[in-house]
Amino acid sequence: MVTRRDFVRTVGVGAAGALGTSWIGARGREDSVWSMLEPGLHAAELQGAVIRCRATKIRSGQVRPCLMPSRARLVHLEPRPAGIRARPRNFATVLAKSLGVQPANLSLGCGSTQILRTATHVFTARDKALVGTIPTYEECAGYADMLGHPVRPVSLDRDFRMDLDRMVDASRGAGLVFYCNPNNPVATYVGARETKDFIARVHRLSPETTILVDEAYFEYVTHPDHQSMIPLAIEDPRIVVARTFSKAYGIAGLRLGYAIGHPDALRKMNNWDNASGTSSLNVLALHAGIAAINQGPAFIDAERARNKAARDFTVKWFADRGMKSTESHTNFIFTNIGVPARGFRDGCAKQGVRVGRDFPPFEQGWCRISIGTMEEMQRATAIFGDVLGKKSVAAA
Amino acid sequence: MSVTRRELFSRLRFGGSDTPDFADGLALSARGLEDDTFGQAGRAAAPGIKLSSNENPVGPGRAVLDAITGRYGVTARYPFNVTPGDAQLIETIAGQHKVKPENVILGAGSQEILKVAVWGYTNPARHLVTATPTFENATGTARRMGHPVIEIKVDSQFRLDLEAMVAVSRGAGLIFINNPNNPTATVHSAAAITDFVERVRRISPDSVILIDEAYHEYVTDPAYSTAVPLAMATPNVFVARTFSKAYGMAGMRIGYAIGQKDTVRPLSRLALPFNISVLGSAAAITALNDPTHMAAERDRNTQARAFTQKALEELGCKCTVSQTNFLFMDVGRTAAAFRTACGAQGIQVGRDFPPFEGSHARISIGTMDEMQKAVAVFRDVLRPATAGGGEA
Repeated sequence: MVTRRDFVRTVGVGAAGALGTSWIGARGREDSVWSMLEPGLHAAELQGAVIRCRATKIRSGQVRPCLMPSRARLVHLEPRPAGIRARPRNFATVLAKSLGVQPANLSLGCGSTQILRTATHVFTARDKALVGTIPTYEECAGYADMLGHPVRPVSLDRDFRMDLDRMVDASRGAGLVFYCNPNNPVATYVGARETKDFIARVHRLSPETTILVDEAYFEYVTHPDHQSMIPLAIEDPRIVVARTFSKAYGIAGLRLGYAIGHPDALRKMNNWDNASGTSSLNVLALHAGIAAINQGPAFIDAERARNKAARDFTVKWFADRGMKSTESHTNFIFTNIGVPARGFRDGCAKQGVRVGRDFPPFEQGWCRISIGTMEEMQRATAIFGDVLGKKSVAAA
Repeated sequence: MSVTRRELFSRLRFGGSDTPDFADGLALSARGLEDDTFGQAGRAAAPGIKLSSNENPVGPGRAVLDAITGRYGVTARYPFNVTPGDAQLIETIAGQHKVKPENVILGAGSQEILKVAVWGYTNPARHLVTATPTFENATGTARRMGHPVIEIKVDSQFRLDLEAMVAVSRGAGLIFINNPNNPTATVHSAAAITDFVERVRRISPDSVILIDEAYHEYVTDPAYSTAVPLAMATPNVFVARTFSKAYGMAGMRIGYAIGQKDTVRPLSRLALPFNISVLGSAAAITALNDPTHMAAERDRNTQARAFTQKALEELGCKCTVSQTNFLFMDVGRTAAAFRTACGAQGIQVGRDFPPFEGSHARISIGTMDEMQKAVAVFRDVLRPATAGGGEA
């Protein structure tokens, strides 16, 4: 029998026992954890009228425009939509043009998950740690842990923002800094000026360290100092930006993400993962991705505005009842509900509303709630009030 | 009227004069086409008949297409948030093979299965054993990692040389067996595979044996049967399958592995989470529940293959004994020359397959109508050189 040591010696560098304990499963953030914590509650049981407020993506109705071209190509049930001329192989070209970069600055992934894993694999090692906040999106930390590569967790500041000073300190000699901005699950955002300063400080202290800026929720940010780190990444091989179509673009189920960076950085990633993901991308995702981009900025502007209105409503609902949320720049909120997340989650699920999983170390008082439509959030808050013993205005 | 694979994917084909090219390393293989992966042919697919990537030319069938379009409404959801999703796909596959869900892992095409197997089971001290020529995915992955590779040339009948592969298996991390073998199209019997596994395990019990059955559904040799029962009964043995060939869904990227839990579960930790799209899960489940479609596809392929082989042998081109949806044949010239000549007349055939690129070409089997048209081109292309070759 192949031992664990044999197995991970290849991919990682052989941390005996690494597969067995703290690693929470390759399906890091949503499903496995949900399943692990609540094995009796599956999507199948909740299909239908349920409102999902946990995995953070937009409502299904909004993706229809993206899917039309795929539909046309699939069964010819409708004419080819006007303006959709690009073919799958040109997805990267269309994407590059929309971002103002070259195709050589892009690497595609089966969701941004593939990008995050590949970056972790390539840029960390047994003597080159991963630095990330606690909590944050766990994919990189979970994968590094599986490989036996050290992880240096850094606590958030009192406002639930990334503690940049402490992250800089932790970055000395690190292989990779995972900088999730806005940060999932706490929803907070660090402005562009501070982020650029952080990157410069890290590289002064630790010139060889790569910084992976995860901009999964970039399209939802409403902060006045909102700016992507893409311009830095394409010039500096020590910076890589990750993006996804799973959030604001609303095609989580199709699995499409990408990295933007300097060709030297992406070459390392591609060499490890066989052109980083191109064999794992399905053709419908590529078509949908092209169509999503070709909708132009108006689609994202509308989605951002819709999300903000529903988010503001939900944050206010909690605030009116004495429950504070962090400053959200995403399509979810992180709220101090004052009771353990698990009990709240169970109570909501019984009434058909699914909210987020535990996020240690805040699972005893805080919960992540994804933002649905305004109508969904109105219905959801009525249930929140019932579960928390605090009636909503609408229900009163 | 069914929707043919040509209708389905003709507009999804790579390339085109009106579109800019992809950067190297980014584009290709999105639909698992070997020629795109390995870059020797077909990047700019010529108009005409594509016989280069061993796909099913008639597609997955109406039921599958309906399953896909019927799930458009849930594409905003992650694969774990829909029903059917990846969990139901695993259950369906397990049910088909009469194994437990814990014995099944999913891959974004079987390529991901092969990739993570090399990642997981080879290392600088534990080599990969494979054939040449064979499907190169495992070989390429190991070489990129700098892990040693021992390639064993196929035998005089273009079959995997199992005897020679056993001889180099001691201490191997992974042994890759492609049965039937791509590109040579030959198959080994169930008894031969069982004997091979037993012999390897006697001399190298820690080596993992990966049996890639990508073309399983096309085999008509009664001596052949799947190695899934063998894998379920034997530690360190697992089988890879794909929906990219007979199931007609190369563009959906769905594959899986079956074996004992301790053999396949470690691979699931390396495979991507959520690697099957919500549309892919629905499509694959529907396909698995429609065995009549598969039987019809096997018959269609067998007939078109027999027609093509007969025509080619009348032209003097000897074919190996094909148990797949492609032929491997001696064209009496370089594959490149044959490919170029066919391409000029709208027929796209397979890439180079060293060490036989100087004499052999691979031709995927299309529809009967496509093969009739292709054979006319082959007659035109092959006649002079074949005659010349005979005089030499």
